[in-house]
Amino acid sequence: MTQWNDSQTQEVSSDITEKSNALPAKYFIEPEIFEMEKEKVFSQYWIYAGHANSISEPGQFFTRNVGNRQLIVVRGHDGEIKAFDNVCAHRGSKMVEDTPMTEPEEANRIRCPYHLWTYDLEGNLQSTPKSFEEASLNPDLDDEDVQEFDCKENGLNDVHVDSIGPLVFVNLADDPMPLSDQAGVMKDRLEALPLGEYEHACRIVSEVECNWKVFASNYSECDHCQANHQDWIKGISLDESELEVNDYHWVLHYTHEEDVEDEMRIHDEHEAQFHYLWPNFTVNMYGTADGYGTYIIDPIDTDRFQLIADYYFRDSDLSEEEREFIRTSRQLQEEDFELVERQWDGLKTGALAQAQLGPNEHTVHKFHRLAQDAYNS
Amino acid sequence: MSTQEQASYVAVCPECDVDLQTDEPNEIVAFHRRHYRVTGHDVKLERTELNFEEVTSTDIKGVVRQLEEQYENGVPIGVVAAVMNEHGLTIGETLDKIHEVRMTGGLYEPRDNYLGAF
Repeated sequence: MTQWNDSQTQEVSSDITEKSNALPAKYFIEPEIFEMEKEKVFSQYWIYAGHANSISEPGQFFTRNVGNRQLIVVRGHDGEIKAFDNVCAHRGSKMVEDTPMTEPEEANRIRCPYHLWTYDLEGNLQSTPKSFEEASLNPDLDDEDVQEFDCKENGLNDVHVDSIGPLVFVNLADDPMPLSDQAGVMKDRLEALPLGEYEHACRIVSEVECNWKVFASNYSECDHCQANHQDWIKGISLDESELEVNDYHWVLHYTHEEDVEDEMRIHDEHEAQFHYLWPNFTVNMYGTADGYGTYIIDPIDTDRFQLIADYYFRDSDLSEEEREFIRTSRQLQEEDFELVERQWDGLKTGALAQAQLGPNEHTVHKFHRLAQDAYNS
Repeated sequence: MSTQEQASYVAVCPECDVDLQTDEPNEIVAFHRRHYRVTGHDVKLERTELNFEEVTSTDIKGVVRQLEEQYENGVPIGVVAAVMNEHGLTIGETLDKIHEVRMTGGLYEPRDNYLGAF
């Protein structure tokens, strides 16, 4: 029975057998859920930050917002990538301006413009101005009694960083599960590919008027492809495709009807692979291009998200063929935006309290189960 | 992406080929800020619908002063961006100019993203 009424909703089904309850609609449309997600989703799991090749030199950094947190992702003098809250340990000032991955900045150190507390690229407090060493304005304190700031204890707040090949992830939790546990076999598969040899070539950012989970659900299945991606589906043999579900990620393997020339693809098998890593990251191995793409599905609020689409090729200067490839990818995005915005128009009315998933939507089911588990944690 | 027809304001990123259509001028500025943060691209205003007589002033402070009469409690920053767009400034350039003048004390925000002039 279709659940039109909140009193009829149930938990997401534990197993997708005869019937599978989707995540109840209230978790998509109620504004307080997004606030909960900031804490229970985006502050608990590994979140993709950006690509290591965009900060290849020590001192290069970009910023990244995750939930409510603003992070600086920087390559240290030791070559390692680190991430810190963009917040000064002195009195909490934001320190560096927003800096996109596409235009990273360079600095030998991180300096807060407010009182010039200065940190090295390891996040340790490096220096404070004289006004923090002398108490000339304070009659109750002698200079020799002024506290000394321990460099490490007064350093920047660092967050966990790990990577899959050149793909850099951050985790805001105190004691997160290893990235290798969250990414599972996806990590092994991607690290077997020469992803680090590819350069960032293009970023397309779109704002879409629907909840981020609606787009994530749409990305995770291809039952809608036959009717809605007719140009793209021509070269795909869906019957021979596979939807593989793992603990925190799932893969849509699509077989091309005709073999694609090997020099046109980054990976060996004659298929495209679309990886989704919970909660909001995808890696797209297209099968028809010597390159790959990533999506970040970043929520703006309950009703909107940003799709950050990045494309990587052997050379950052795009060939005409690669431009055409990105144009096709962009067409797919536009088609999907139409679909998810239409779905959102219906879902946000609240008329349908809970959807039901089909048997080939077990990837969507996994996504909904993970959301529910996170909310219940 | 909105499918609204004939929205009052349309902002476009030519590099990403994405747009935002809205009737709320400050939403254009919010869109620019979000987009600039992740791409570094300056969003362009492609359509602006200004329902008032032409603003003759070309400097930011003069524009705000002229528009203040038509708005209570501050001029939406998006409207200022739309007027300055007519004078050839991008949204990013307008925001930079506003910051510059605010730092001299010539402009203030009676509320977030609304401007008043001294």
